[in-house]
Amino acid sequence: MVAAATSRLESLCSRTAVPATSLLLLAGATGLLVGSLRSSIFAQLTVQGLALGSVYGSLALALVLVYRATHVVNFAQGELAMATTYVAWQLIQWGLSYWEAFAVTLAIAFVLGTVLQVVLIRPVQHRSVIAAVIVTVGLFILIDGVVDWVWGSALKFMPSPFGTKTYDVGGVSISRLYPGMFLVVLASVLLVWALFRFTKLGLAMRAAALRPAESALVGVRVDWMLAIGWGLAAVLGAVAGLMAEPSQFVLQPTLMQPILVYAFAAAVLGGLESPAGAVIGGLAIGVSLTLVVQYVHPITSDLQTPVAFAVLVGVLLLKPSGLFGQREVRRV
Amino acid sequence: MPVNRRKLGALLCALLATAAVASTAAASHRSTPGVTSKKVVIGGTFPLSEGPATGGASLYKTIPFAEQAYYAYVNAHGGVHHRKIDDIVLDDQYTPSETVQQTTKLVEQDHVFADVGSLGTAPNLSTWGYLNKHKVPQVLLATGDAYWGNCVHHACQGSTKPWTLGWQPDYPGEAKLYAKYILAHNKNAKIGVLYQNDAYGKNYLAGLKTGLGSHKNLIVDAEAYNAGDSAQVVGAHVFALKTHGADTFVIFATPGASIAALATLPAIGWSPVTLLNNVSANRIFMGLAAKNGAKLDGVISTTYVESQTVQANLPGMKLAKKIIHTYAPNLDQQFAAGDQNLVYGLAVGWTFVDALKHAGKNPTRKSLMHALRNMNEKNNPFIYPGMVVKTSKKRTFPMEQLIFIKWSGGNSGDWHHFGKVLNSGH
Amino acid sequence: MRHRLPELGSLLAVAVLLSVLPFTLSDYNISLVAQVGIFFVAVLGLNILTGYTGQISIGHGAFMAIGGYTTAVMSRDHDTNLVVTMLMAFAICFVVGLLVGLPALRLSGVYLALATFALAVSVPQLPLKWSKFLGGSGGVQSHRTVTHLWLYGAAWIASAILFALAWLILRGRIGRAFRAARDSEIAAVASGIELPIYKTLAFGISAAYAGVAGALFVMGTNGFAQPSEFGVFLSLQLLVGAAVAGLGSLWGILAGAAFVGLLPTVSGSVPVIGSAHGRNVVFGAAVILVMLLLPEGFAGLLTRLRRLARA
Repeated sequence: MVAAATSRLESLCSRTAVPATSLLLLAGATGLLVGSLRSSIFAQLTVQGLALGSVYGSLALALVLVYRATHVVNFAQGELAMATTYVAWQLIQWGLSYWEAFAVTLAIAFVLGTVLQVVLIRPVQHRSVIAAVIVTVGLFILIDGVVDWVWGSALKFMPSPFGTKTYDVGGVSISRLYPGMFLVVLASVLLVWALFRFTKLGLAMRAAALRPAESALVGVRVDWMLAIGWGLAAVLGAVAGLMAEPSQFVLQPTLMQPILVYAFAAAVLGGLESPAGAVIGGLAIGVSLTLVVQYVHPITSDLQTPVAFAVLVGVLLLKPSGLFGQREVRRV
Repeated sequence: MPVNRRKLGALLCALLATAAVASTAAASHRSTPGVTSKKVVIGGTFPLSEGPATGGASLYKTIPFAEQAYYAYVNAHGGVHHRKIDDIVLDDQYTPSETVQQTTKLVEQDHVFADVGSLGTAPNLSTWGYLNKHKVPQVLLATGDAYWGNCVHHACQGSTKPWTLGWQPDYPGEAKLYAKYILAHNKNAKIGVLYQNDAYGKNYLAGLKTGLGSHKNLIVDAEAYNAGDSAQVVGAHVFALKTHGADTFVIFATPGASIAALATLPAIGWSPVTLLNNVSANRIFMGLAAKNGAKLDGVISTTYVESQTVQANLPGMKLAKKIIHTYAPNLDQQFAAGDQNLVYGLAVGWTFVDALKHAGKNPTRKSLMHALRNMNEKNNPFIYPGMVVKTSKKRTFPMEQLIFIKWSGGNSGDWHHFGKVLNSGH
Repeated sequence: MRHRLPELGSLLAVAVLLSVLPFTLSDYNISLVAQVGIFFVAVLGLNILTGYTGQISIGHGAFMAIGGYTTAVMSRDHDTNLVVTMLMAFAICFVVGLLVGLPALRLSGVYLALATFALAVSVPQLPLKWSKFLGGSGGVQSHRTVTHLWLYGAAWIASAILFALAWLILRGRIGRAFRAARDSEIAAVASGIELPIYKTLAFGISAAYAGVAGALFVMGTNGFAQPSEFGVFLSLQLLVGAAVAGLGSLWGILAGAAFVGLLPTVSGSVPVIGSAHGRNVVFGAAVILVMLLLPEGFAGLLTRLRRLARA
């Protein structure tokens, strides 16, 4: 076991993505393309699946950011996203335009995420995985209660930012919403990636998450970097919520619950440490779930969740770090 | 640790003292629980809040508030036999284990006369045996499963439940009417069914098949979605129906999924004849579907209560508006928007008050059940004109009538009744 | 429950209190205290896993479901004595726990949390698939139902027996191995402890406790086992209970069980917020506050108080 641990230490150095993963993805993408060209039904499902997957992916991305920053899985991420969507709804009611409300909501989400990290997570963060998980569970329940208290549980409607128009592309109906959602989610991933890759802030955040002690020595304000990580995650969550709302058609307190479960699966599939992996994981789950509903009749509905999670556990067992993650190192 | 033990001793004494006080308070039993010379205490359990993964059940929480508003109206006008009705509404989050706890509280702590109007199939099933064992009326339930009238399901296990009674038309009976409608209009229809993957959805589907009889094979595909599935997953099922070549779309779903299904239709370029179950046909849900691009004109459903929007001039709806405005003014807007659950709540309240009147000057649980099992209400102002709330030895569902409605007027349109009042009974 | 015999005083006090209570409480309050007893069993079991071996589980509601369905199905089909069904629930969940524990060996921390979460989400779906045998969403009705008093007795006698069993297990070699697994896996292996065996065993024992709690839980819902009783929230409740309890103290586990068994019900009647929202607001806030203010749960608080009393 000790020997195993040392060999794992070495594997940290290999930073190249596993070729098998890339091949798998390529094969999947080719399959979707070929299928779509041959059958318009398949193409329709693929389009819908990708739209669904982009919502899964954006919430999964928020989970990954939180995990990278603080090694906490935030069970309240979905409810947080739901709450910020209510904030946006309220702002629109007060007369702001959609995109104004969008921008203000993201700012509020950032503050909210940062404050939550400082007030609730920081005190328990170093205690244990369990303590932090339970605080987020408490937050889940609390947010549910507060949203119901403030806004009630009646269904609410928000105008879709992209309208409800649909286009017919070679027998496939594509709602304007789908490419819209897809692009917004894609843009947020690219922004996050650029932030981590090209800015000093991003570098400091990465350093603070990976090597807190050393980072503090070189003058990085580790505590704040972690809090900002939470703030960013809340912003991405808010984007996920705002994109989920038109795709779910109505705003209600349960908005993100069906999404959260699959966002977890997406994050694990892609690797809890990997932002790109989370989005690809989300797309993969969105597409496969939609295709399974159509083509694999015996397992639909009753076994949909168990099968999705059997896959999740399978991935965890075979490759705990996910498709794109690097292995964690255990220290003696 | 002597200090510790002394502390424990003190704690023990304190607890015993509290317990003793609590028990004497509870010990005073009356002949008929919940009935005094001044008031009648009843209660019910409803999903007032959401638990994680309860899938939007608290949408229906306007029902108990409308019932309370009706009792407040009756109380303000002298009550029933000079007794005021006190309705305790408890939150069970649509979770059976919670329903058991809260119902136990209603029966053993609050000593209610009856459990009236409680909502949901699973919650009511979990208190079914308990309430019957303790001979507490479990009546006018807000669920239309076949359980509540005829024990046709294995869960009944052959035993009868004399203290249990539903109210609304049962789901299979409603579904049978849709089958008849389809057969009358298109003998070669290709039917695609979307149903919720639980007793609720399966009850409806079974009724549809019974109604189709030898034409059962007209159903080309039936797709089950899970309660709480995201809108896209529901949409994928709808698309599957389209690909099976269906031209008639039957929706047996809860409101959230129905909105998703209706809004998906234009997005996948499908415009079938659409039939929608009554539970989802609330006007406020239709409005939400329309805002999301659904084309509603021509959608067909059924109803059994009056409409406060298209029948606003009927005396019943004028009264309804007045009661809501006076006793639950925060629901005014909801009422104006056409929330039929409010009318439903008022109608159930009316039936209970009616039964209580017939249960005699000094009502007992037994006399209440007798009154409820021998109802003949022709004048409930909130249900559709001409319908009768009726029970007898043979007839165990109080409501067995429906009338078809069709949506017209586009996005800001409304349901309009057509045809005659139909019998949905067995 | 630690290495030494738990203070006899505490045990005796609890035993006396619990045997006197039914004579003084109303029927409804008896049912509430019985509910606490059911959660006591489950929290105790989860405490063995999370507290002693450091493995997290967000899936113990699934074991409760298996235990509960065992009772309901056996009672429905064979009218098996309910006490016997509790033993069967114990045995079946022990085996299922071992089976789950094996793959869990490869996982730890957050990954184990997610895998067990998957279990909690998936298991309640199974009755829908095998609806002939497991009743579908309509549930399974036991042939016999029990009174509040019977349930109270069964829950607390089971609690006493399982508490004693836990004490016996944890004070000896097995307990030392569990703790070694938690404190440092690699060191434990280096000193010759067969880690996989003990970690799997902990899962099995803990699941068996949850199974008994599930059996009692179904009796508490008037003998009805339904998928919706065993949702994710139940698993989360157990986890919260174990955290509130803290490690290795009778009073701690009592507090944890009371916290999750009573608070959601009681907080519904908080006046200001109203019954509709009070539950979630109060319960959620309480969970967070307890985690922030009592780092080692109720047990830690007691230790601190004792230290204060001594000083």
